[in-house]
Amino acid sequence: MSPSQQPTSLNNPAYLKNQFAHRFIRALNNLHHTKTPPHHNYKMYNRSTRVKIAANTAMASVVGSRRAWSRAVLWKIRKLRSRKRVNCHHQEKVSLKRRNPKPKTEDFNNPFGDSSQESKLRELVPGGETLDAVCLMGETANYIKCLVAQVEVMKTLVDLYNPT
Amino acid sequence: MSNRRSAPGTQRITDEQITELVSKLQQLLPELRNHRSNKASASKVLQETCNYVRSLHKEVDDLSDRLSRLLSTVDDDGPQASIIRSLIN
Repeated sequence: MSPSQQPTSLNNPAYLKNQFAHRFIRALNNLHHTKTPPHHNYKMYNRSTRVKIAANTAMASVVGSRRAWSRAVLWKIRKLRSRKRVNCHHQEKVSLKRRNPKPKTEDFNNPFGDSSQESKLRELVPGGETLDAVCLMGETANYIKCLVAQVEVMKTLVDLYNPT
Repeated sequence: MSNRRSAPGTQRITDEQITELVSKLQQLLPELRNHRSNKASASKVLQETCNYVRSLHKEVDDLSDRLSRLLSTVDDDGPQASIIRSLIN
Protein backbone atom coordinates (compact mmCIF):
# COMPACT_ATOMS: atom_id res chain seq x y z
CA MET A 1 0.00 0.00 0.00
CA SER A 2 1.45 3.38 -0.92
CA PRO A 3 1.76 5.89 1.92
CA SER A 4 -1.18 7.92 0.69
CA GLN A 5 -3.46 4.88 0.76
CA GLN A 6 -2.70 3.84 4.30
CA PRO A 7 -5.76 4.75 6.36
CA THR A 8 -3.97 6.47 9.21
CA SER A 9 -1.12 8.10 7.36
CA LEU A 10 -0.83 11.86 7.32
CA ASN A 11 -0.13 11.57 3.61
CA ASN A 12 -3.68 10.34 3.16
CA PRO A 13 -5.73 13.49 2.50
CA ALA A 14 -8.94 11.92 3.80
CA TYR A 15 -7.30 11.10 7.11
CA LEU A 16 -5.85 14.59 7.31
CA LYS A 17 -9.26 16.16 6.74
CA ASN A 18 -10.87 13.85 9.23
CA GLN A 19 -8.40 14.65 11.98
CA PHE A 20 -8.61 18.35 11.28
CA ALA A 21 -12.42 18.36 11.20
CA HIS A 22 -12.54 16.62 14.56
CA ARG A 23 -10.34 19.14 16.32
CA PHE A 24 -11.73 22.17 14.56
CA ILE A 25 -15.35 21.31 15.35
CA ARG A 26 -14.46 20.79 18.98
CA ALA A 27 -12.77 24.20 19.05
CA LEU A 28 -15.76 25.81 17.33
CA ASN A 29 -18.03 24.24 19.91
CA ASN A 30 -15.98 25.79 22.70
CA LEU A 31 -16.05 29.15 20.96
CA HIS A 32 -19.78 28.94 20.52
CA HIS A 33 -20.63 28.03 24.07
CA THR A 34 -18.52 30.48 25.98
CA LYS A 35 -19.98 33.92 26.16
CA THR A 36 -16.76 35.40 27.50
CA PRO A 37 -13.55 34.82 25.56
CA PRO A 38 -11.69 31.75 26.83
CA HIS A 39 -8.46 33.60 27.32
CA HIS A 40 -7.98 37.24 28.16
CA ASN A 41 -5.44 37.67 25.40
CA TYR A 42 -8.08 36.82 22.81
CA LYS A 43 -10.27 39.73 23.86
CA MET A 44 -8.79 41.95 21.18
CA TYR A 45 -9.77 39.55 18.42
CA ASN A 46 -13.16 39.53 16.85
CA ARG A 47 -15.08 36.30 16.31
CA SER A 48 -13.89 35.84 12.78
CA THR A 49 -10.24 36.00 13.80
CA ARG A 50 -10.86 33.58 16.64
CA VAL A 51 -12.34 31.10 14.17
CA LYS A 52 -9.32 31.52 11.93
CA ILE A 53 -6.94 30.96 14.84
CA ALA A 54 -8.93 27.88 15.84
CA ALA A 55 -8.68 26.51 12.31
CA ASN A 56 -4.95 27.13 11.91
CA THR A 57 -4.23 25.75 15.36
CA ALA A 58 -6.31 22.64 14.72
CA MET A 59 -4.48 21.94 11.46
CA ALA A 60 -1.07 22.55 13.01
CA SER A 61 -1.88 20.26 15.94
CA VAL A 62 -2.78 17.41 13.57
CA VAL A 63 0.66 17.65 11.99
CA GLY A 64 2.21 18.25 15.39
CA SER A 65 5.95 18.53 15.64
CA ARG A 66 6.65 16.70 12.39
CA ARG A 67 6.96 19.83 10.33
CA ALA A 68 8.72 23.15 10.81
CA TRP A 69 5.64 25.13 9.76
CA SER A 70 3.36 23.39 12.24
CA ARG A 71 5.90 23.81 15.03
CA ALA A 72 6.09 27.52 14.21
CA VAL A 73 2.29 27.90 14.32
CA LEU A 74 1.96 26.02 17.62
CA TRP A 75 4.83 27.98 19.12
CA LYS A 76 3.21 31.27 18.18
CA ILE A 77 -0.07 30.22 19.77
CA ARG A 78 1.67 29.10 22.92
CA LYS A 79 3.49 32.41 23.06
CA LEU A 80 0.22 34.26 22.57
CA ARG A 81 -1.46 32.39 25.40
CA SER A 82 1.36 32.77 27.89
CA ARG A 83 2.01 36.39 27.16
CA LYS A 84 1.27 38.52 30.19
CA ARG A 85 -0.90 41.53 29.52
CA VAL A 86 1.56 43.98 28.08
CA ASN A 87 1.17 47.35 26.55
CA CYS A 88 1.20 47.00 22.76
CA HIS A 89 4.01 49.51 22.50
CA HIS A 90 6.45 47.32 24.40
CA GLN A 91 6.39 44.14 22.37
CA GLU A 92 9.78 42.50 22.46
CA LYS A 93 11.39 41.25 19.31
CA VAL A 94 11.25 37.49 19.26
CA SER A 95 14.52 35.77 18.56
CA LEU A 96 14.17 32.67 16.47
CA LYS A 97 16.39 29.66 16.78
CA ARG A 98 17.93 29.08 13.42
CA ARG A 99 17.67 25.53 12.18
CA ASN A 100 20.29 26.03 9.49
CA PRO A 101 22.60 28.99 9.13
CA LYS A 102 20.85 31.47 6.91
CA PRO A 103 22.39 31.10 3.47
CA LYS A 104 24.47 34.09 2.46
CA THR A 105 23.87 34.95 -1.15
CA GLU A 106 27.50 35.92 -1.66
CA ASP A 107 28.70 32.46 -0.88
CA PHE A 108 26.88 30.46 -3.51
CA ASN A 109 24.52 31.04 -6.36
CA ASN A 110 20.92 31.11 -5.38
CA PRO A 111 19.58 27.82 -6.76
CA PHE A 112 16.40 29.51 -7.88
CA GLY A 113 18.14 32.40 -9.50
CA ASP A 114 15.57 34.77 -8.07
CA SER A 115 15.85 35.54 -4.38
CA SER A 116 12.96 37.98 -4.11
CA GLN A 117 10.37 35.28 -4.78
CA GLU A 118 12.09 33.03 -2.31
CA SER A 119 11.99 35.67 0.42
CA LYS A 120 8.30 36.27 -0.31
CA LEU A 121 7.71 32.56 0.14
CA ARG A 122 9.58 32.63 3.43
CA GLU A 123 7.21 35.27 4.69
CA LEU A 124 4.17 33.25 3.67
CA VAL A 125 5.13 29.88 5.12
CA PRO A 126 5.21 29.82 8.93
CA GLY A 127 8.70 29.19 10.20
CA GLY A 128 10.11 29.75 6.75
CA GLU A 129 12.59 32.41 7.81
CA THR A 130 14.97 29.91 9.35
CA LEU A 131 14.99 27.24 6.65
CA ASP A 132 17.39 26.78 3.80
CA ALA A 133 16.11 26.64 0.23
CA VAL A 134 15.69 22.88 0.02
CA CYS A 135 13.84 22.53 3.32
CA LEU A 136 11.70 25.52 2.42
CA MET A 137 10.43 23.76 -0.71
CA GLY A 138 9.52 20.61 1.17
CA GLU A 139 7.79 22.56 3.93
CA THR A 140 5.87 24.61 1.36
CA ALA A 141 4.61 21.47 -0.38
CA ASN A 142 3.32 20.00 2.88
CA TYR A 143 1.92 23.36 3.99
CA ILE A 144 -0.04 23.68 0.75
CA LYS A 145 -1.45 20.15 1.08
CA CYS A 146 -2.62 20.90 4.61
CA LEU A 147 -4.06 24.30 3.68
CA VAL A 148 -6.05 22.70 0.87
CA ALA A 149 -7.44 20.09 3.25
CA GLN A 150 -8.28 22.80 5.77
CA VAL A 151 -10.12 24.88 3.17
CA GLU A 152 -12.11 21.87 1.95
CA VAL A 153 -13.30 21.00 5.45
CA MET A 154 -14.18 24.62 6.21
CA LYS A 155 -16.20 24.84 2.99
CA THR A 156 -18.08 21.68 3.96
CA LEU A 157 -18.87 23.16 7.37
CA VAL A 158 -20.13 26.38 5.86
CA ASP A 159 -22.43 24.38 3.60
CA LEU A 160 -23.60 22.36 6.59
CA TYR A 161 -24.42 25.38 8.69
CA ASN A 162 -26.02 27.29 5.86
CA PRO A 163 -29.77 27.32 6.18
CA THR A 164 -31.24 26.18 2.86
CA MET B 1 29.16 23.99 -11.14
CA SER B 2 32.69 23.38 -9.94
CA ASN B 3 33.27 27.07 -9.37
CA ARG B 4 30.37 27.29 -6.92
CA ARG B 5 31.62 27.65 -3.36
CA SER B 6 29.46 26.17 -0.65
CA ALA B 7 28.96 28.03 2.59
CA PRO B 8 30.53 26.13 5.48
CA GLY B 9 28.11 23.71 7.12
CA THR B 10 25.61 23.59 4.25
CA GLN B 11 25.30 20.78 1.74
CA ARG B 12 25.92 21.41 -1.88
CA ILE B 13 22.48 21.59 -3.44
CA THR B 14 22.44 19.59 -6.66
CA ASP B 15 20.53 20.66 -9.72
CA GLU B 16 18.62 17.38 -9.75
CA GLN B 17 17.38 18.01 -6.23
CA ILE B 18 16.15 21.41 -7.26
CA THR B 19 14.36 20.25 -10.40
CA GLU B 20 12.76 17.40 -8.50
CA LEU B 21 11.46 19.70 -5.77
CA VAL B 22 10.30 22.24 -8.30
CA SER B 23 8.36 19.65 -10.27
CA LYS B 24 6.81 18.28 -7.07
CA LEU B 25 5.69 21.76 -6.16
CA GLN B 26 4.41 22.30 -9.66
CA GLN B 27 2.14 19.27 -9.30
CA LEU B 28 0.40 20.94 -6.39
CA LEU B 29 -0.32 24.18 -8.15
CA PRO B 30 -3.64 24.29 -9.97
CA GLU B 31 -2.37 26.85 -12.46
CA LEU B 32 0.62 24.92 -13.63
CA ARG B 33 -0.54 21.36 -13.24
CA ASN B 34 -1.75 21.07 -16.80
CA HIS B 35 1.12 22.97 -18.26
CA ARG B 36 1.87 21.69 -21.71
CA SER B 37 5.60 21.55 -21.15
CA ASN B 38 6.35 19.40 -18.17
CA LYS B 39 8.76 21.80 -16.61
CA ALA B 40 7.98 25.39 -15.87
CA SER B 41 10.92 27.51 -14.85
CA ALA B 42 11.80 27.52 -11.18
CA SER B 43 11.05 31.18 -10.75
CA LYS B 44 7.62 30.78 -12.36
CA VAL B 45 6.84 27.90 -10.01
CA LEU B 46 7.96 29.98 -7.04
CA GLN B 47 5.84 32.87 -8.15
CA GLU B 48 2.78 30.67 -8.65
CA THR B 49 3.43 29.07 -5.28
CA CYS B 50 3.42 32.44 -3.55
CA ASN B 51 0.22 33.43 -5.32
CA TYR B 52 -1.42 30.12 -4.47
CA VAL B 53 -0.51 30.32 -0.77
CA ARG B 54 -1.81 33.88 -0.64
CA SER B 55 -5.09 32.87 -2.25
CA LEU B 56 -5.45 29.96 0.19
CA HIS B 57 -4.87 32.30 3.13
CA LYS B 58 -7.52 34.61 1.75
CA GLU B 59 -9.94 31.70 1.42
CA VAL B 60 -9.32 30.74 5.03
CA ASP B 61 -10.01 34.33 6.09
CA ASP B 62 -13.20 34.45 4.08
CA LEU B 63 -14.45 31.06 5.30
CA SER B 64 -13.63 31.98 8.91
CA ASP B 65 -15.66 35.12 8.50
CA ARG B 66 -18.67 33.22 7.17
CA LEU B 67 -18.35 30.52 9.79
CA SER B 68 -18.21 33.03 12.62
CA ARG B 69 -21.37 34.65 11.33
CA LEU B 70 -23.16 31.33 10.89
CA LEU B 71 -22.07 30.18 14.33
CA SER B 72 -23.97 32.97 15.98
CA THR B 73 -27.18 32.05 14.16
CA VAL B 74 -27.09 28.35 14.84
CA ASP B 75 -29.98 27.09 16.87
CA ASP B 76 -28.78 24.80 19.60
CA ASP B 77 -31.55 22.30 19.07
CA GLY B 78 -31.56 22.39 15.30
CA PRO B 79 -30.64 19.50 13.02
CA GLN B 80 -27.20 20.90 12.31
CA ALA B 81 -26.30 20.96 15.97
CA SER B 82 -27.10 17.27 16.38
CA ILE B 83 -24.98 16.42 13.37
CA ILE B 84 -22.12 18.39 14.82
CA ARG B 85 -22.58 16.73 18.17
CA SER B 86 -22.50 13.28 16.62
CA LEU B 87 -19.34 14.21 14.77
CA ILE B 88 -17.62 15.26 17.95
CA ASN B 89 -18.51 12.16 19.93
